[in-house]
Amino acid sequence: MSAATIEAPSRQPRTRVRRRRSGAPIHIALIAIVAVGLLPYLFVLTTSVKTNEQFATSYWAPSFPLHFENYATAWNQIAPFMLVSVVVAAISIVGIVALSLLSGYVFARFQFPGRRFFFTMVIALLMVPSIASLIPLFVMMRDLGLLNTLWVLIVPRIAGGAVLGTILMKTFIEGIPQELFDAARVDGAGAGRLFRSIMLPLSLPVVGTVSLLTVIGVWNDFFWPLLTVTDNALKPVSVGLLFFRGQAGTDYGAMFAGYMIASLPLLLLFLFLSKYFLAGIQGGLPGSH
Amino acid sequence: MAIQTPDRVVPDTVAILADTNPPRRPRRRRSISWGAYLGLAPLAIMLGVFCYYPAASGIFHSFWNWNPGGESTFTGFDNYATMMSDQLWWESFKNLGIIFLFGVVSWVIPLAAAELLISLRSERAQFVYRTLLIVPMAFPGVVTALIWSFLYQPNDGVINTFLKSVGLDALAQNWLGDPHLALISLLFIGFPFIAGLPFLMFYSTLQNIPKEIFEACSLDGVNRIQRLFLIDLPLMGRQLQLLLVLVIIETLQYGFVAYILTSGGPDNATTVPVLHMLSEAFNGGNWGYAAALSTTLFVLTVVFSTIVAVAKRRDSTTNVKGM
Repeated sequence: MSAATIEAPSRQPRTRVRRRRSGAPIHIALIAIVAVGLLPYLFVLTTSVKTNEQFATSYWAPSFPLHFENYATAWNQIAPFMLVSVVVAAISIVGIVALSLLSGYVFARFQFPGRRFFFTMVIALLMVPSIASLIPLFVMMRDLGLLNTLWVLIVPRIAGGAVLGTILMKTFIEGIPQELFDAARVDGAGAGRLFRSIMLPLSLPVVGTVSLLTVIGVWNDFFWPLLTVTDNALKPVSVGLLFFRGQAGTDYGAMFAGYMIASLPLLLLFLFLSKYFLAGIQGGLPGSH
Repeated sequence: MAIQTPDRVVPDTVAILADTNPPRRPRRRRSISWGAYLGLAPLAIMLGVFCYYPAASGIFHSFWNWNPGGESTFTGFDNYATMMSDQLWWESFKNLGIIFLFGVVSWVIPLAAAELLISLRSERAQFVYRTLLIVPMAFPGVVTALIWSFLYQPNDGVINTFLKSVGLDALAQNWLGDPHLALISLLFIGFPFIAGLPFLMFYSTLQNIPKEIFEACSLDGVNRIQRLFLIDLPLMGRQLQLLLVLVIIETLQYGFVAYILTSGGPDNATTVPVLHMLSEAFNGGNWGYAAALSTTLFVLTVVFSTIVAVAKRRDSTTNVKGM
């Protein structure tokens, strides 16, 4: 490279650099990695539209006709689990957003004794792994008689989600210019009005991130619902899939169709909200990295 | 009571206007102050009851022969003494060590992918590849685990069928049923390990390195491999440290994949602390002992999380704000 740079006239090196960098080897390597990563999912996708006979005769290749009725079969069994997850996620989101908006607003915009102490108490909870308090929380829920109810899935999730939610909200609200609040206050707005007319509309991106994190959390939570909910009608999708696999036996088409249906909500969210999705995974706000 | 002072210098002309503010402020603050506590009350109750109380209760009962719903007896450090001589507990930590080491070594692939990705000139191509590389992240963890459990199936599974179809029947194994292979099979779930935090961190760090540095390198005749070791990795030092501790914390909580695929078997070859703890509580009814195990995991996590928090505070390019 350096030799070329010295010998060539001024325009030459740029084109060479470009040709070298966008070279085929990089594309081939990346395509190979992408292919290896996606292959299991593609295999499941193609198998999900096969009957067992098609699966036996053509294991690898897609086989026609496509049997979409596998999806209907799977949906009938998966739908109740999906519904539970949707309900749990929806109620949790409402609870988490309400709690963390309010507390984030208080932490960001008010001065009061103990403010630092309380906020530290919230942050400290980031260090408590959910698995560590699982057993005492289980005993507590049993004593409260909440096992095998929707509340056993919802309430701890709200408490857990409000921790990161409050931290994100506080940071975000601190970033809103004080002038906005002052102007509204001069116009005669009280604390409640400031909250409704300024805070709520401006904090929608954080509300989005928190909601997305909650949905991902509900869809991935495994041990807690496994241990606290034994009633099949109340199982969320993560645990329900395990039961579904047992039911499907060796009917791979329907089994894989079920896996795909269960993944669809998160895939759609990823597709349309990938900015928030990635921010959530990295524990921050969109655009912060 | 702290009174917020405006951090900008107020010019004389505005000073008159500003003068009207100070006398009103303390009054408003005082009346608002109670509102602030009222606003925090719901959060305080939720976190107190469902986060702090269980954590405290777990630590407290780890010193008891805990019999939920019945009589518990105080046993002091007995549970911890039992833990010290619990063969399976230590074996589960040995497995964790292997899981951790494997996790760190496997960063090679995400690192290579991130390097390849930033070598692409076209932003659009970068975006397309990046998205395709991380799509597996969007699948629920349970689905990925279930799919891989099918890949590993001895009869109909993808891996054995593939080996047989290319004439390597001898290499076909009972992947999850063989105590020697079960753990390594679990570790290969998610291969090529791109869809995860390490890749995202490598990629965003590399993106943030100023282009001038790379240009200077290529002018000086530094080749791609040299640049990786001389420029990219040293500049990533902070992120690598952080990642290391994050992986430790994640590894401590490792469990559901092993539960779905092997339930800790065969022959306890894939048992991990979380599974051991759960089986002590829910199968053995040893709640106090399980509480001691969970307290141990908790303490280990806190130690490592503190290291992360300290590292993050020193690092101005952190992702998590408000810490």
